[in-house]
Amino acid sequence: MSWKEKLSYELFEPDRDQSPGEIVFFKLFELFVLFYTIKFAWEWGVYTQFRNVEVVLPLGLANYFDISIFFDYNLALINAGFITIIGIASYFRLGYKWQYMVVMVLLHIQYVARFSQGEIPHSQNLIGMSVLCFAIGAWFFPDKKQMPRFVMGSIIFFIGLGYTSAFFAKLIGTGFNWFDGRHLWLWIGEKSIDILSREGAWSPNFLQSLALQSTAMASLILLIGWFTELIGFTMWWKKLRPYTTTLLIGMHFGITLTMNIRFDAFVIQLILVGFPWYILLDRYIKSTPKYLKRWV
Amino acid sequence: MNKLSAKRGLKVIGITLLIYAVLVAPHEGEFWPFSIYPMFSQAGNPWTRAMVLDVTDQPADEIWEMHALEDRTADAVPVGRYGVDQIDFSNFVSKTENWTEQRRNALITMFGADEIQDQQWMVSKVKGELVGQDSVAIRIVPFIKITADDTELNPNLPESDYFRGAQ
Repeated sequence: MSWKEKLSYELFEPDRDQSPGEIVFFKLFELFVLFYTIKFAWEWGVYTQFRNVEVVLPLGLANYFDISIFFDYNLALINAGFITIIGIASYFRLGYKWQYMVVMVLLHIQYVARFSQGEIPHSQNLIGMSVLCFAIGAWFFPDKKQMPRFVMGSIIFFIGLGYTSAFFAKLIGTGFNWFDGRHLWLWIGEKSIDILSREGAWSPNFLQSLALQSTAMASLILLIGWFTELIGFTMWWKKLRPYTTTLLIGMHFGITLTMNIRFDAFVIQLILVGFPWYILLDRYIKSTPKYLKRWV
Repeated sequence: MNKLSAKRGLKVIGITLLIYAVLVAPHEGEFWPFSIYPMFSQAGNPWTRAMVLDVTDQPADEIWEMHALEDRTADAVPVGRYGVDQIDFSNFVSKTENWTEQRRNALITMFGADEIQDQQWMVSKVKGELVGQDSVAIRIVPFIKITADDTELNPNLPESDYFRGAQ
Protein backbone atom coordinates (compact mmCIF):
# COMPACT_ATOMS: atom_id res chain seq x y z
CA MET A 1 0.00 0.00 0.00
CA SER A 2 1.48 3.38 -1.01
CA TRP A 3 1.63 6.30 1.44
CA LYS A 4 -1.17 7.99 -0.51
CA GLU A 5 -3.45 4.99 -0.04
CA LYS A 6 -2.51 4.80 3.63
CA LEU A 7 -3.30 8.47 4.13
CA SER A 8 -6.61 8.18 2.29
CA TYR A 9 -7.52 5.22 4.55
CA GLU A 10 -6.71 7.23 7.67
CA LEU A 11 -8.70 10.28 6.54
CA PHE A 12 -11.69 8.69 4.79
CA GLU A 13 -11.88 5.18 6.29
CA PRO A 14 -13.27 3.54 3.12
CA ASP A 15 -13.61 0.13 4.80
CA ARG A 16 -16.01 1.35 7.46
CA ASP A 17 -19.76 1.24 6.73
CA GLN A 18 -21.81 4.36 7.16
CA SER A 19 -23.83 4.20 10.39
CA PRO A 20 -26.90 6.16 11.61
CA GLY A 21 -24.73 7.80 14.27
CA GLU A 22 -22.31 9.04 11.64
CA ILE A 23 -25.10 10.69 9.62
CA VAL A 24 -26.64 12.32 12.70
CA PHE A 25 -23.23 13.59 13.81
CA PHE A 26 -22.46 14.90 10.32
CA LYS A 27 -25.66 16.95 10.18
CA LEU A 28 -25.11 18.25 13.72
CA PHE A 29 -21.58 19.28 12.75
CA GLU A 30 -22.87 20.95 9.58
CA LEU A 31 -25.41 22.80 11.72
CA PHE A 32 -22.57 24.01 13.95
CA VAL A 33 -20.65 25.30 10.90
CA LEU A 34 -23.80 26.92 9.48
CA PHE A 35 -24.55 28.61 12.81
CA TYR A 36 -21.07 30.15 13.02
CA THR A 37 -21.14 31.07 9.31
CA ILE A 38 -24.35 33.05 9.81
CA LYS A 39 -23.13 34.49 13.13
CA PHE A 40 -19.85 35.71 11.61
CA ALA A 41 -21.59 37.00 8.47
CA TRP A 42 -23.88 39.25 10.54
CA GLU A 43 -21.27 40.31 13.10
CA TRP A 44 -18.83 41.28 10.35
CA GLY A 45 -21.61 42.84 8.29
CA VAL A 46 -22.90 45.05 11.10
CA TYR A 47 -19.37 46.14 12.08
CA THR A 48 -18.43 46.90 8.48
CA GLN A 49 -21.60 48.91 7.91
CA PHE A 50 -21.38 51.00 11.06
CA ARG A 51 -17.66 51.19 11.94
CA ASN A 52 -15.41 50.84 8.91
CA VAL A 53 -14.49 54.13 7.30
CA GLU A 54 -11.27 53.57 5.38
CA VAL A 55 -9.34 50.56 4.12
CA VAL A 56 -6.11 50.24 6.13
CA LEU A 57 -5.09 46.76 4.90
CA PRO A 58 -6.59 45.10 1.80
CA LEU A 59 -6.75 41.31 2.19
CA GLY A 60 -7.58 38.52 -0.28
CA LEU A 61 -9.87 39.65 -3.09
CA ALA A 62 -9.78 43.19 -1.66
CA ASN A 63 -6.38 43.49 -3.35
CA TYR A 64 -8.16 43.52 -6.69
CA PHE A 65 -11.14 45.85 -6.16
CA ASP A 66 -12.09 48.66 -3.83
CA ILE A 67 -13.65 46.81 -0.89
CA SER A 68 -14.71 50.09 0.73
CA ILE A 69 -17.84 49.93 -1.45
CA PHE A 70 -19.07 47.40 1.13
CA PHE A 71 -18.88 50.08 3.84
CA ASP A 72 -21.87 51.85 2.26
CA TYR A 73 -25.23 51.16 0.64
CA ASN A 74 -25.93 48.43 3.25
CA LEU A 75 -23.96 46.06 1.02
CA ALA A 76 -22.34 44.24 3.95
CA LEU A 77 -25.78 43.63 5.48
CA ILE A 78 -27.24 42.52 2.15
CA ASN A 79 -24.28 40.16 1.74
CA ALA A 80 -24.96 38.72 5.21
CA GLY A 81 -28.58 38.18 4.13
CA PHE A 82 -27.48 36.27 1.01
CA ILE A 83 -25.04 34.15 3.03
CA THR A 84 -27.84 33.29 5.46
CA ILE A 85 -30.40 32.31 2.80
CA ILE A 86 -28.02 30.37 0.54
CA GLY A 87 -26.35 28.75 3.57
CA ILE A 88 -29.67 27.48 4.96
CA ALA A 89 -30.76 26.24 1.51
CA SER A 90 -27.43 24.42 1.16
CA TYR A 91 -27.89 22.78 4.56
CA PHE A 92 -31.20 21.31 3.42
CA ARG A 93 -29.68 20.43 0.01
CA LEU A 94 -32.14 22.71 -1.77
CA GLY A 95 -30.90 24.14 -5.06
CA TYR A 96 -27.63 23.44 -6.82
CA LYS A 97 -24.66 21.40 -5.65
CA TRP A 98 -22.28 24.31 -6.29
CA GLN A 99 -24.10 26.85 -4.16
CA TYR A 100 -22.05 26.10 -1.01
CA MET A 101 -19.15 27.53 -3.02
CA VAL A 102 -21.15 30.75 -3.45
CA VAL A 103 -21.46 30.91 0.37
CA MET A 104 -17.68 30.49 0.57
CA VAL A 105 -16.98 33.36 -1.85
CA LEU A 106 -19.53 35.68 -0.20
CA LEU A 107 -18.09 34.86 3.25
CA HIS A 108 -14.60 35.62 1.97
CA ILE A 109 -15.79 39.03 0.77
CA GLN A 110 -17.49 39.62 4.14
CA TYR A 111 -14.22 38.77 5.93
CA VAL A 112 -12.00 41.02 3.80
CA ALA A 113 -14.49 43.89 4.16
CA ARG A 114 -14.63 43.55 7.95
CA PHE A 115 -10.93 42.94 8.50
CA SER A 116 -9.63 45.67 6.23
CA GLN A 117 -8.65 47.63 9.33
CA GLY A 118 -5.10 46.32 9.82
CA GLU A 119 -5.42 43.22 11.98
CA ILE A 120 -5.54 39.70 10.54
CA PRO A 121 -7.36 37.44 13.00
CA HIS A 122 -7.21 33.66 12.58
CA SER A 123 -9.86 32.49 15.02
CA GLN A 124 -12.44 32.22 12.22
CA ASN A 125 -10.20 30.31 9.80
CA LEU A 126 -11.39 26.85 10.81
CA ILE A 127 -15.01 27.77 10.13
CA GLY A 128 -13.92 29.19 6.75
CA MET A 129 -11.98 26.02 5.91
CA SER A 130 -14.99 23.93 6.93
CA VAL A 131 -17.30 25.90 4.63
CA LEU A 132 -14.76 25.35 1.83
CA CYS A 133 -14.64 21.59 2.53
CA PHE A 134 -18.46 21.46 2.51
CA ALA A 135 -18.39 23.38 -0.78
CA ILE A 136 -15.91 20.99 -2.40
CA GLY A 137 -17.69 17.96 -0.92
CA ALA A 138 -21.14 19.05 -2.12
CA TRP A 139 -19.79 19.78 -5.59
CA PHE A 140 -17.46 16.82 -6.22
CA PHE A 141 -18.73 14.17 -3.78
CA PRO A 142 -22.52 14.75 -3.65
CA ASP A 143 -23.29 11.08 -2.97
CA LYS A 144 -24.81 10.55 0.50
CA LYS A 145 -22.14 8.03 1.43
CA GLN A 146 -19.21 10.00 0.05
CA MET A 147 -19.87 13.57 1.13
CA PRO A 148 -19.71 13.11 4.95
CA ARG A 149 -16.45 11.16 4.71
CA PHE A 150 -14.82 13.60 2.31
CA VAL A 151 -15.89 16.67 4.28
CA MET A 152 -14.73 15.36 7.66
CA GLY A 153 -11.52 13.85 6.25
CA SER A 154 -10.51 17.00 4.40
CA ILE A 155 -11.27 19.23 7.41
CA ILE A 156 -9.05 17.02 9.58
CA PHE A 157 -6.32 17.19 6.93
CA PHE A 158 -6.33 21.00 6.79
CA ILE A 159 -6.53 21.44 10.57
CA GLY A 160 -3.47 19.22 11.06
CA LEU A 161 -1.63 20.96 8.27
CA GLY A 162 -2.45 24.39 9.70
CA TYR A 163 -0.93 23.68 13.12
CA THR A 164 2.25 22.18 11.68
CA SER A 165 2.48 25.13 9.28
CA ALA A 166 2.27 27.48 12.29
CA PHE A 167 5.24 25.65 13.87
CA PHE A 168 7.38 26.17 10.76
CA ALA A 169 6.27 29.80 10.37
CA LYS A 170 7.73 30.42 13.86
CA LEU A 171 10.88 28.47 13.11
CA ILE A 172 11.47 30.42 9.90
CA GLY A 173 10.29 33.77 11.33
CA THR A 174 12.45 33.68 14.47
CA GLY A 175 14.62 30.56 14.64
CA PHE A 176 15.20 27.92 17.30
CA ASN A 177 15.22 30.54 20.06
CA TRP A 178 11.51 31.27 19.42
CA PHE A 179 10.65 29.70 22.79
CA ASP A 180 12.85 32.16 24.75
CA GLY A 181 10.60 33.04 27.70
CA ARG A 182 11.25 36.76 27.36
CA HIS A 183 9.31 36.68 24.10
CA LEU A 184 6.29 35.59 26.13
CA TRP A 185 6.86 38.52 28.49
CA LEU A 186 6.68 40.88 25.54
CA TRP A 187 3.43 39.33 24.30
CA ILE A 188 1.89 39.37 27.78
CA GLY A 189 2.83 43.08 27.98
CA GLU A 190 1.27 43.72 24.57
CA LYS A 191 -1.95 41.92 25.42
CA SER A 192 -2.11 43.65 28.81
CA ILE A 193 -2.27 46.97 26.96
CA ASP A 194 -5.08 45.68 24.75
CA ILE A 195 -7.09 44.61 27.81
CA LEU A 196 -6.30 47.83 29.69
CA SER A 197 -7.42 49.84 26.68
CA ARG A 198 -10.56 47.80 26.09
CA GLU A 199 -11.69 47.37 29.71
CA GLY A 200 -9.96 50.22 31.52
CA ALA A 201 -8.12 47.81 33.84
CA TRP A 202 -5.88 44.73 33.73
CA SER A 203 -4.25 42.46 36.26
CA PRO A 204 -2.24 39.29 35.56
CA ASN A 205 -3.82 35.89 36.20
CA PHE A 206 -2.07 32.96 37.90
CA LEU A 207 -0.33 31.60 34.78
CA GLN A 208 0.76 35.07 33.62
CA SER A 209 2.21 35.83 37.07
CA LEU A 210 4.05 32.50 36.99
CA ALA A 211 5.48 33.22 33.52
CA LEU A 212 6.47 36.78 34.43
CA GLN A 213 8.35 35.61 37.54
CA SER A 214 10.61 33.14 35.76
CA THR A 215 12.19 33.04 32.31
CA ALA A 216 12.50 29.26 32.59
CA MET A 217 8.79 28.85 33.28
CA ALA A 218 7.88 31.21 30.42
CA SER A 219 10.20 29.28 28.09
CA LEU A 220 8.67 25.96 29.15
CA ILE A 221 5.16 27.27 28.40
CA LEU A 222 6.23 28.37 24.91
CA LEU A 223 8.12 25.15 24.24
CA ILE A 224 5.14 22.94 25.12
CA GLY A 225 2.87 25.02 22.87
CA TRP A 226 5.35 25.01 20.00
CA PHE A 227 5.88 21.25 20.19
CA THR A 228 2.11 20.71 20.20
CA GLU A 229 1.86 22.72 16.98
CA LEU A 230 4.62 20.62 15.40
CA ILE A 231 2.75 17.37 15.98
CA GLY A 232 -0.54 18.85 14.69
CA PHE A 233 -0.31 16.78 11.52
CA THR A 234 -0.52 13.55 13.53
CA MET A 235 -4.28 14.21 13.58
CA TRP A 236 -4.30 12.59 10.16
CA TRP A 237 -3.95 9.17 11.83
CA LYS A 238 -7.27 8.13 13.32
CA LYS A 239 -5.74 6.30 16.30
CA LEU A 240 -3.60 9.30 17.28
CA ARG A 241 -6.34 11.89 16.53
CA PRO A 242 -8.02 12.02 19.98
CA TYR A 243 -4.65 12.40 21.74
CA THR A 244 -3.36 15.10 19.39
CA THR A 245 -6.70 16.92 19.63
CA THR A 246 -6.57 16.83 23.43
CA LEU A 247 -3.09 18.38 23.36
CA LEU A 248 -4.23 21.06 20.88
CA ILE A 249 -7.24 21.95 23.05
CA GLY A 250 -4.89 22.19 26.05
CA MET A 251 -2.63 24.49 24.04
CA HIS A 252 -5.55 26.77 23.21
CA PHE A 253 -6.49 27.03 26.89
CA GLY A 254 -2.84 27.91 27.55
CA ILE A 255 -2.95 30.67 24.92
CA THR A 256 -6.19 32.00 26.41
CA LEU A 257 -4.67 32.12 29.89
CA THR A 258 -1.29 33.59 28.93
CA MET A 259 -2.30 35.94 26.13
CA ASN A 260 -6.01 36.55 26.66
CA ILE A 261 -6.87 35.34 23.16
CA ARG A 262 -10.04 33.26 23.01
CA PHE A 263 -10.70 30.71 20.28
CA ASP A 264 -14.28 29.60 21.04
CA ALA A 265 -15.27 28.38 17.57
CA PHE A 266 -11.80 26.88 17.08
CA VAL A 267 -11.92 24.84 20.30
CA ILE A 268 -15.54 23.69 19.84
CA GLN A 269 -14.66 22.55 16.33
CA LEU A 270 -11.59 20.67 17.59
CA ILE A 271 -13.79 18.91 20.15
CA LEU A 272 -16.25 17.97 17.39
CA VAL A 273 -13.83 16.70 14.74
CA GLY A 274 -11.10 15.26 16.95
CA PHE A 275 -13.09 12.49 18.61
CA PRO A 276 -15.19 9.64 17.10
CA TRP A 277 -18.55 10.87 18.40
CA TYR A 278 -20.45 8.60 15.99
CA ILE A 279 -19.51 5.59 18.16
CA LEU A 280 -21.31 7.15 21.12
CA LEU A 281 -24.32 8.16 18.98
CA ASP A 282 -24.59 4.66 17.50
CA ARG A 283 -25.26 3.29 20.97
CA TYR A 284 -28.49 5.27 21.12
CA ILE A 285 -29.52 5.69 17.46
CA LYS A 286 -30.36 2.49 15.64
CA SER A 287 -31.73 3.90 12.37
CA THR A 288 -31.38 7.17 10.46
CA PRO A 289 -34.52 9.36 10.49
CA LYS A 290 -36.00 9.61 6.96
CA TYR A 291 -35.99 13.42 6.85
CA LEU A 292 -32.31 13.45 7.80
CA LYS A 293 -31.42 11.13 4.91
CA ARG A 294 -32.78 13.72 2.48
CA TRP A 295 -30.49 16.42 3.87
CA VAL A 296 -27.19 14.49 3.70
CA MET B 1 -17.07 5.82 0.69
CA ASN B 2 -15.22 3.15 -1.31
CA LYS B 3 -11.50 2.83 -1.96
CA LEU B 4 -11.71 4.51 -5.35
CA SER B 5 -13.54 7.53 -3.91
CA ALA B 6 -11.03 7.72 -1.08
CA LYS B 7 -8.22 7.87 -3.62
CA ARG B 8 -10.09 10.57 -5.55
CA GLY B 9 -10.68 12.40 -2.27
CA LEU B 10 -6.96 12.63 -1.65
CA LYS B 11 -6.44 13.88 -5.19
CA VAL B 12 -9.01 16.64 -4.63
CA ILE B 13 -7.26 17.58 -1.37
CA GLY B 14 -3.98 17.74 -3.33
CA ILE B 15 -5.49 20.10 -5.93
CA THR B 16 -7.00 22.24 -3.15
CA LEU B 17 -3.58 22.35 -1.50
CA LEU B 18 -2.05 23.54 -4.74
CA ILE B 19 -4.66 26.33 -5.04
CA TYR B 20 -3.96 27.09 -1.34
CA ALA B 21 -0.24 27.55 -2.09
CA VAL B 22 -0.84 29.59 -5.25
CA LEU B 23 -3.14 31.98 -3.37
CA VAL B 24 -1.15 32.47 -0.16
CA ALA B 25 2.27 32.79 -1.84
CA PRO B 26 1.74 36.21 -3.47
CA HIS B 27 -0.48 37.50 -0.61
CA GLU B 28 2.01 37.38 2.29
CA GLY B 29 0.71 34.07 3.58
CA GLU B 30 -2.94 35.10 3.88
CA PHE B 31 -5.89 34.50 1.59
CA TRP B 32 -8.77 33.73 3.93
CA PRO B 33 -9.54 31.05 4.88
CA PHE B 34 -6.15 29.90 3.57
CA SER B 35 -3.23 30.89 5.76
CA ILE B 36 0.27 29.80 6.69
CA TYR B 37 -0.72 30.86 10.25
CA PRO B 38 2.14 33.29 10.83
CA MET B 39 0.76 34.73 14.09
CA PHE B 40 3.46 35.17 16.72
CA SER B 41 6.07 33.96 14.23
CA GLN B 42 8.35 36.96 14.72
CA ALA B 43 9.22 36.89 18.38
CA GLY B 44 11.11 39.49 20.39
CA ASN B 45 10.26 42.48 18.18
CA PRO B 46 9.25 45.80 19.77
CA TRP B 47 5.51 46.45 19.45
CA THR B 48 3.20 49.45 19.30
CA ARG B 49 -0.40 49.46 20.51
CA ALA B 50 -2.78 52.28 21.31
CA MET B 51 -4.97 53.43 24.15
CA VAL B 52 -7.01 56.46 25.14
CA LEU B 53 -6.34 58.38 28.34
CA ASP B 54 -8.79 60.73 29.96
CA VAL B 55 -6.72 63.91 30.48
CA THR B 56 -9.64 66.22 31.28
CA ASP B 57 -8.40 66.89 34.81
CA GLN B 58 -4.68 66.59 34.15
CA PRO B 59 -2.36 69.67 34.31
CA ALA B 60 -2.12 71.13 30.76
CA ASP B 61 1.69 71.26 30.84
CA GLU B 62 1.99 67.54 31.60
CA ILE B 63 -0.44 65.92 29.20
CA TRP B 64 2.01 65.82 26.27
CA GLU B 65 4.87 64.23 28.22
CA MET B 66 6.01 60.74 27.31
CA HIS B 67 5.99 58.48 30.38
CA ALA B 68 6.40 54.88 31.51
CA LEU B 69 3.28 52.75 31.95
CA GLU B 70 3.91 52.47 35.70
CA ASP B 71 3.99 56.30 35.99
CA ARG B 72 0.57 56.71 34.37
CA THR B 73 -1.73 59.02 36.31
CA ALA B 74 -4.58 59.47 33.82
CA ASP B 75 -7.34 56.83 33.68
CA ALA B 76 -7.62 54.64 30.61
CA VAL B 77 -10.82 55.19 28.64
CA PRO B 78 -12.32 51.69 28.11
CA VAL B 79 -12.84 51.79 24.34
CA GLY B 80 -14.99 48.63 24.40
CA ARG B 81 -17.64 50.58 26.31
CA TYR B 82 -18.06 52.79 23.23
CA GLY B 83 -18.45 49.84 20.85
CA VAL B 84 -14.95 50.30 19.44
CA ASP B 85 -12.94 47.18 18.65
CA GLN B 86 -9.64 47.62 20.50
CA ILE B 87 -7.61 45.71 17.92
CA ASP B 88 -8.98 47.81 15.03
CA PHE B 89 -8.45 51.00 17.01
CA SER B 90 -4.87 50.01 17.81
CA ASN B 91 -4.12 49.26 14.17
CA PHE B 92 -5.76 52.45 13.01
CA VAL B 93 -3.52 54.49 15.31
CA SER B 94 -0.28 52.55 14.86
CA LYS B 95 -0.49 51.94 11.10
CA THR B 96 -1.78 55.28 9.83
CA GLU B 97 1.15 57.05 8.17
CA ASN B 98 -0.46 60.35 7.20
CA TRP B 99 -2.66 61.94 9.81
CA THR B 100 -4.80 64.02 7.47
CA GLU B 101 -7.71 65.99 8.89
CA GLN B 102 -10.03 63.22 7.72
CA ARG B 103 -8.05 60.59 9.65
CA ARG B 104 -7.94 62.73 12.79
CA ASN B 105 -11.67 63.38 12.65
CA ALA B 106 -12.25 59.65 12.14
CA LEU B 107 -11.04 59.24 15.75
CA ILE B 108 -13.87 61.48 16.97
CA THR B 109 -16.37 59.66 14.73
CA MET B 110 -15.16 56.32 16.09
CA PHE B 111 -16.20 57.21 19.65
CA GLY B 112 -18.93 59.70 18.83
CA ALA B 113 -18.86 63.41 19.68
CA ASP B 114 -21.92 62.87 21.92
CA GLU B 115 -19.92 60.39 24.01
CA ILE B 116 -16.87 62.63 24.35
CA GLN B 117 -18.99 65.66 25.34
CA ASP B 118 -16.79 68.18 27.20
CA GLN B 119 -14.02 65.71 28.06
CA GLN B 120 -10.46 65.77 26.70
CA TRP B 121 -9.14 62.42 25.59
CA MET B 122 -5.54 61.65 24.67
CA VAL B 123 -5.13 59.05 21.96
CA SER B 124 -1.74 57.56 22.84
CA LYS B 125 0.67 55.14 21.29
CA VAL B 126 2.01 52.54 23.70
CA LYS B 127 5.40 51.06 22.84
CA GLY B 128 6.93 47.94 24.34
CA GLU B 129 10.41 46.46 23.99
CA LEU B 130 12.82 44.10 25.66
CA VAL B 131 15.41 45.93 27.74
CA GLY B 132 18.58 44.16 28.82
CA GLN B 133 18.32 40.52 29.79
CA ASP B 134 15.38 40.50 32.09
CA SER B 135 12.80 43.23 31.60
CA VAL B 136 10.17 44.69 29.30
CA ALA B 137 9.87 48.48 29.09
CA ILE B 138 6.45 49.91 28.21
CA ARG B 139 6.13 53.65 27.55
CA ILE B 140 3.15 55.81 26.68
CA VAL B 141 3.51 58.41 23.92
CA PRO B 142 0.68 61.02 23.93
CA PHE B 143 -0.22 61.39 20.26
CA ILE B 144 -3.47 63.18 19.43
CA LYS B 145 -5.78 64.99 21.85
CA ILE B 146 -9.42 64.78 20.87
CA THR B 147 -12.44 66.69 22.07
CA ALA B 148 -15.99 66.55 20.74
CA ASP B 149 -15.18 68.93 17.91
CA ASP B 150 -11.41 69.28 17.62
CA THR B 151 -8.11 67.40 17.44
CA GLU B 152 -4.62 68.51 18.44
CA LEU B 153 -1.24 66.95 17.67
CA ASN B 154 1.51 66.55 20.25
CA PRO B 155 3.75 69.66 19.89
CA ASN B 156 6.72 67.70 21.31
CA LEU B 157 6.76 65.18 18.47
CA PRO B 158 8.39 65.82 15.08
CA GLU B 159 6.11 66.30 12.06
CA SER B 160 7.53 63.13 10.54
CA ASP B 161 5.67 61.17 13.24
CA TYR B 162 2.40 62.34 11.66
CA PHE B 163 3.19 62.66 7.96
CA ARG B 164 5.46 60.08 6.38
CA GLY B 165 4.31 60.28 2.76
CA ALA B 166 2.33 62.53 0.46
CA GLN B 167 -0.61 64.17 2.20
